[in-house]
Amino acid sequence: MAHTFEGYRRPDGRVGVRNYVAVIPTSVAASSVASAIADEAGPWARATPHQLGTSQPTPARRQTERVLVGIGRNPNVGAALVVELGTEDISAETIADGISNSGKTTETLAIREVGGTSNALVEGVSRLTRLKAEADRATREEADVSELVFGVECGGSDATSGIAANPAVGAACDRLVEAGGTASFSETPEFIGAEHILADRCADEETRERLLERVDMREGMAELMSVDLRGAQPTPGNQVGGLTTIEEKSLGAISKGGTTAIRGIVDYGEELPTNGGLVLMDTPGYDVESVVGKVAGGAQIVAFTTGRGSTTGNPLAPVIKVTGNPKTWKRMSNNIDVNAGTVFDGESIDSVGGRIFETLVDVANGRRTEAEHRRLEEFAINEIQPEELTTEVSG
Amino acid sequence: MSSSSLSGRTFEGAAREDGTVGVRDNVLVLPSVICSHLVAERIAARVDDAVATPHDHGCAQLGADNEQTQRTLLSIAQNPNVAGTVVVGLGCEEVQSAEVATALESRDVPVRELSIQDVGGTDECVEQGVEAATELVQSRHTTRTAADISDLTIGIVSSDLDASTIESADPLVGRVADDVIAAGGRVVVAGNERLVANPEDAREAATEDARDSMGDLLDRHEGHPARATRVGQFTRNRSYEEVTRGWGSAPISEVLSYGERSTLSEGLTAVDAPSRFAEATTALAAADANVVVHVTGDGIPSGHPLVPVVKVTGDPGTAVALPDDIDLLARQADSEQLLERLLDVANGEMCLAEEHSLTEFAITRVGPSM
Amino acid sequence: MKGRVLDDALLQLSTSDNVGTTVDDLSEGTKIDSDGRDVVLVEDVPFGHKVALESVEAGENVRKYGEIIGTATQPIDVGEWVHTHNCESTRGRGDRAATGGETA
Repeated sequence: MAHTFEGYRRPDGRVGVRNYVAVIPTSVAASSVASAIADEAGPWARATPHQLGTSQPTPARRQTERVLVGIGRNPNVGAALVVELGTEDISAETIADGISNSGKTTETLAIREVGGTSNALVEGVSRLTRLKAEADRATREEADVSELVFGVECGGSDATSGIAANPAVGAACDRLVEAGGTASFSETPEFIGAEHILADRCADEETRERLLERVDMREGMAELMSVDLRGAQPTPGNQVGGLTTIEEKSLGAISKGGTTAIRGIVDYGEELPTNGGLVLMDTPGYDVESVVGKVAGGAQIVAFTTGRGSTTGNPLAPVIKVTGNPKTWKRMSNNIDVNAGTVFDGESIDSVGGRIFETLVDVANGRRTEAEHRRLEEFAINEIQPEELTTEVSG
Repeated sequence: MSSSSLSGRTFEGAAREDGTVGVRDNVLVLPSVICSHLVAERIAARVDDAVATPHDHGCAQLGADNEQTQRTLLSIAQNPNVAGTVVVGLGCEEVQSAEVATALESRDVPVRELSIQDVGGTDECVEQGVEAATELVQSRHTTRTAADISDLTIGIVSSDLDASTIESADPLVGRVADDVIAAGGRVVVAGNERLVANPEDAREAATEDARDSMGDLLDRHEGHPARATRVGQFTRNRSYEEVTRGWGSAPISEVLSYGERSTLSEGLTAVDAPSRFAEATTALAAADANVVVHVTGDGIPSGHPLVPVVKVTGDPGTAVALPDDIDLLARQADSEQLLERLLDVANGEMCLAEEHSLTEFAITRVGPSM
Repeated sequence: MKGRVLDDALLQLSTSDNVGTTVDDLSEGTKIDSDGRDVVLVEDVPFGHKVALESVEAGENVRKYGEIIGTATQPIDVGEWVHTHNCESTRGRGDRAATGGETA
C-alpha cells in the first residue's frame, strides 16, 4: 500500500492535491461576478459562490469570515482572488489578509473600484491570469500520506450506508490514522443516538464534554423549531432507503470515521490539525455545508458515502463517492467512484477499505473523481440563524 | 396621477390564465434542492428562453423553515413572467420535486418533473431536462396583450438605509408607488425590519383586513435580531415614515408571509422579507411582482432570474462607480422618468442588470440547518 | 460485514438485535430460519428494511447494531416489517417539547 503521493507543497508546509486559483466573493453581492470571472478564465479557476456576507449579526458574520479565510488557505489553493462589491460588512482585505498569512499570493478586486460589473469581469480575468502564473510556479513533489487531512461525509444515506459503505470508509480512515494522517468526520445531528459510543472513544475529558455539549445543542434545534426531527433527519430518501430513526442513521453514520480514538472536536470551518489522528468537526448534517466546513478546515480530499445517490462535489476538494448499494452503483455509476456494495457478495470490509485507501492515494496524485469530471461543485456556507442567537447578542 | 402623458401608455405583455400579465415569458427550470441546482443551471443554459433559480436549500430543514422553502418554490413557479416549469430534484430530499410538480399542475401551470436519482445520474438528467425545457419553450402559446400601468405589479426593495436612500431614492420610488396604485396597479414591498422597529405605526399603516397578518409578522420577529443587520440597526433610530418612504403613502392592504402569493387585485402589499436584495426579490417575485425596483446606495449590481430589476440609487458616487449597473440616479430623475423606464422594461427593453445577465436567487431561512 | 446473515435473507448485526435487515427485496410468506426458529414475513419488505426477529410490545425498545434505535408505537409480531409506521425515535422530539413532553 502506497505511503507517499505527489503534491504541491505550500509555504505554510501543508501539501495540496490540486493547484487551483480560488475566486472568493466576500458577499452575495459579489458572488455572481466571482463565478463569471472564474468561468471565463478557465477550469483552473474555482469560484466559491455563497449567499451571505452583506450584513449579518456578528456571530454569523464571524463564522462566514472564518470559512472564507479557511477555504482560501486550503492547500489545494495555489493563489486566491477575493472579490467584493466594496460596501459589504465582510471586506476583501480582511479575507485576503487571512489567506496571505499562510504565505499564499492573494489579491483583491472591488467591483465599485473598477467601474462596475463588465469592467470587473475583464479586470478579474486579467488578475486571475496573473495569479495563475504565480500558482504554476508550484510543482508536485513527494509527500507522505500522513500529510493528508481526509474528510469523510455521508449523504443520501440508506440502510446500506451503515452496513457497507461507512464501515469501509472507516477502515480507510483507520489506515490513514495509523500512517500518521488526519481523518475527520462531522454532521453532529448524526451523532444523536450514538454519541455514547463516540464519547467512550474520546482521548480526553475535554473532548468528551465538548462532543456531548455539541450534540445537545444540535438536538436542541428540533426543540427550537417545535417539531419532530424526523423529516429533516432522517430525510424522506433515508426513510425510503430503510432508515427509520435518527438513532439508526447515526449508529450507521459514525462507522465512517473508523475505530480509532477521537483526539478532538473543532468548530465549523475551524482548522483541522495535520498528523492529528481522528478529529471531529461540529457541523450540521446538511451535506454541502458540512463538506464546505471540512474543506475550510484544510481537508484536501473528501470521501462521501451515499446509499441513494448523492451527486454533489466541491469546487476545491475532490470528492470521492462511495456507495454500498448495488442498485445505486448500477444506476448511477457515472456519478460514483467506488462500489462498496460488493460487501453483500462477500468482499470483506477491510478489503473494500483497502480499495478506498488506494483511491484516496490515486486521487491525491491527480486522478479525477466523477464529480470533478463533471464539474459538480456545490458550495454553501452554514449561516447561524437569528433564532439560534439570544436577544442579548448585538448585531 | 401626476404624469398624464403616461396614463394611456401601454406595453406588450403576456396574458396569463389568472388575469395577470407577464413582462417576460420564460420557462423556469426549478431545482427543488441544492443538490440539483447545477443540473438545473446547465439545462437552462442550453435552452433559449429558459431561466434557472439555483438556491442553497431544500435539505436538512425543519418545520417552518422547510415549509417556507417549499411555499416559495411553489409560488415562484406561478409568477406571471413564467410560461412553464421544469422541476428538477435529486430524489432523497424533503422538498420532493414530484410533490412540487403535482401542486403546480393543479394550479394550471404547465410542468415537467425529473429527479437525478430516478433517471440515473446527472448526465442523463441534464439531457432529459433540456428535452423537457425545450418542449415547454416550443409549446408556449402565450397570448400577447396590450397592457397598461394597472397590469404592473411593482416589487420594491431598498437594501440599505443610507442617507441618500432615505433622502432621495426612496421618496422618488415612493411617488412611483403611489402613481401605480392610483392607476389601479399593485405594489409589493419588502423590508420587515422597518415594521418590526415601529410596531405601533406598522399596525396603524395596515388596513382592517391586514391587521391580523401584520400582528403575525410582528410576533414572528419578536426577540430576534434582524437578518439584515445594518438596516435593522438603522431603523432603531429612525421614524416609521423615514424608513418607509419607498413604499409610498397607500395603506398596507395585505401582509404576506415570505413566499406567499398576493391575492389583491390592486393596492399595497407588504411581504415578510429582510432587506437583503436577493432574498427580498425572491419574495417579491413569489408575491407576484412582474418587475422590481431595487433602491441601492451600495450599488449591488445583481439581477434576478424571474424579474427584471431596475436599479435606482440616490448616491452620485455609486452612480459614478457603477455607470453600467445603475439605471437611474434619483437626483437626476423624476417619478415620471422612473415610471417610463418601468414601462419600457415591461415592454421588453432590457434593464441594465439584464444586459450583464448576472443574477442572484436566494430564499430566506427561518431555522437552522440540520 | 459485521454480524451474520440468516438464511441468506436477513442480516442480524448483533446478537442482541431484535430486528434483521433484508439483503434483498423479500416477499410476503418468505420463511427464514433464525437459529432453528422460523421467521415468516407477514408482508413484502424491501431491500435494506427491517423485519422483526422477535415480537416487540408497544413502547418496548427496537434494537439494531446492539443498540436502541427507537421504540415500537404498537405491538409488533415476528415477521412484521419494522419502519416509520410502527417505530418512533426517542431523540430530537421537538414536537414533544412543544407539547410539554420529553425530547430525549
